Amino acid sequence: MNLAWKEMKKSKTKFVILGSIVFLISLLTFIISGLANGLSQDNAALIKNLPDGTIYMETAAEETHALSVIDTETEQPVLSENDGAFAFSIQMGFLLNEQDEQQSVAFVTSTSSAEFPEVAKGEIILDRSLEEDGIQKGDRFTNSQLDDKFTVAGFSDGAKYSHAPVAFIHPDDYAEMYRTEDLQMLFVPKAAEPEAIAGLQSFSTEEFLNTLPSYSAEQLSLSMIVWFLVVISGMLFAIFFYMMNIQKLGLYGILKAIGVKTGALFRMIWVQMLVITAIALILSIAVSQVFATLAPGDMPFYLPIGITLQLSAVFFAIGFAGATLSGFQIRKAQPLQAIQQGEG
Amino acid sequence: MIFSTSNIKKSFTTGEVSEEILKGVDLSLVEGEITALVGSSGSGKSTLLTIAAGLQPASGGEIHFDGEDLTAMNQEQIRQIRAEAFGFVFQSAHLVPFLTAEEQLLLMLETAGSPLSKKQRCGEAARILQSVGMGHRKTAYPASLSGGEKQRVAIARAIVHQPKLLFADEPTASLDSTKSREVMELLQQLTKTLNIATLMVTHEEDMLAYADRVITMKDGRLA
Repeated sequence: MNLAWKEMKKSKTKFVILGSIVFLISLLTFIISGLANGLSQDNAALIKNLPDGTIYMETAAEETHALSVIDTETEQPVLSENDGAFAFSIQMGFLLNEQDEQQSVAFVTSTSSAEFPEVAKGEIILDRSLEEDGIQKGDRFTNSQLDDKFTVAGFSDGAKYSHAPVAFIHPDDYAEMYRTEDLQMLFVPKAAEPEAIAGLQSFSTEEFLNTLPSYSAEQLSLSMIVWFLVVISGMLFAIFFYMMNIQKLGLYGILKAIGVKTGALFRMIWVQMLVITAIALILSIAVSQVFATLAPGDMPFYLPIGITLQLSAVFFAIGFAGATLSGFQIRKAQPLQAIQQGEG
Repeated sequence: MIFSTSNIKKSFTTGEVSEEILKGVDLSLVEGEITALVGSSGSGKSTLLTIAAGLQPASGGEIHFDGEDLTAMNQEQIRQIRAEAFGFVFQSAHLVPFLTAEEQLLLMLETAGSPLSKKQRCGEAARILQSVGMGHRKTAYPASLSGGEKQRVAIARAIVHQPKLLFADEPTASLDSTKSREVMELLQQLTKTLNIATLMVTHEEDMLAYADRVITMKDGRLA
């Protein structure tokens, strides 16, 4: 007999309340996690969206990419020897529209690359968020460091850097703006062992992001918030399941007295925990995904399925631990004590 | 004789003080008989019943059931015997609050490892509920049953798997005199028809009329 299901069917209100609490806690965690990841993406999507690989910058730049300069003699052999390798530069700047309104952007240029869009001289490709702000293809922008105007040639998805939309520009335009033909960094798609290049320091994409002072400090705070929330939520999960089962020790004692196996009682609480947690998580995942689509564009929100599943696994594990912990109390439940405690 | 105890002792230790509740009890139970255990409060009658039922261990002595020594068995073996061969009626009905009257009996059949099919189990549960006068309430949950009805369902649960021994601890204590008589008549009838050995603890003298044997306990010994 499925005792777990029978009880849930009979005591709907109790289980709906418990499920609602689990739903609200997990939804809160998903939303906060989505916002934290959104901020992280807003800061570093340009780099995070690169495939696994190695980023090189000049050793003398001491991990500050803005100071890195990789000359053509160093750059060319790397690009020719490694398929998919490219050189690139990132510089913070701004664009002015025809009404002289300023828009902060991160200018990015690169040699021919599968990862960044190809841009013709005098054209510019902007992050999609600027299209949502009303900028259209064909709009023209100026920059104080450039004599000519930029014409918007298109938009690119997920191109954000340092909380600013990325503006992809042609290397010649970059050279004119920043008075250098040398680019700052090299990207080499993942090799078994990053090749050592004289005068250059290698970084994984994650290591590179940690060289950005704003990114590492922000990530530390966001990670702290998310994991603190996960731990608190997990503890609440465990406590609720524990309390629910502790209240039923008398019933478990009676069931043990008539010969029901302790293992059957464990199965009962596990099934209840799994059903409640699964339904609550499915609902909260659905609501958080709806939230992701409805959230205003200015609010960075990023909750990929991988992170959702990771958090769900943590909740299942903690809920299971809470239920099992109360199971140990069931193991100790004395039939005799339950019988002597009156109506069960 | 299906059940017997030999020199059963039970003592409890609180701090450095040890109190002997049972001081060597010899008891035997026979099929088809209700044996009533009476005595003043603290005489050890409920302790003897719970030890006999395998709900707590004895400090010494032997308990024999159907040729086997219960005191030599482990917890799992005792649980299995409780599930398959013992029936319990407590002072309170102790029904499972989220199961209907019929489901209480089905749970007991499942716990006892009944060889009956699902359909046969439902039929048996209905028949037993009918025999205790609760056939019309088989879909009722405990919360909607009166005290007497709950106790009838508890009795039905205690006998549905055809136990050899029935332990009844003050089965009428929570009932009025009319309901008490009804429950005792039912226990008497089932004990005879199902050939069960019933051990009943009671402090109500009116109920002794339904017993085949009355054993009095005093200060941890049979008087």
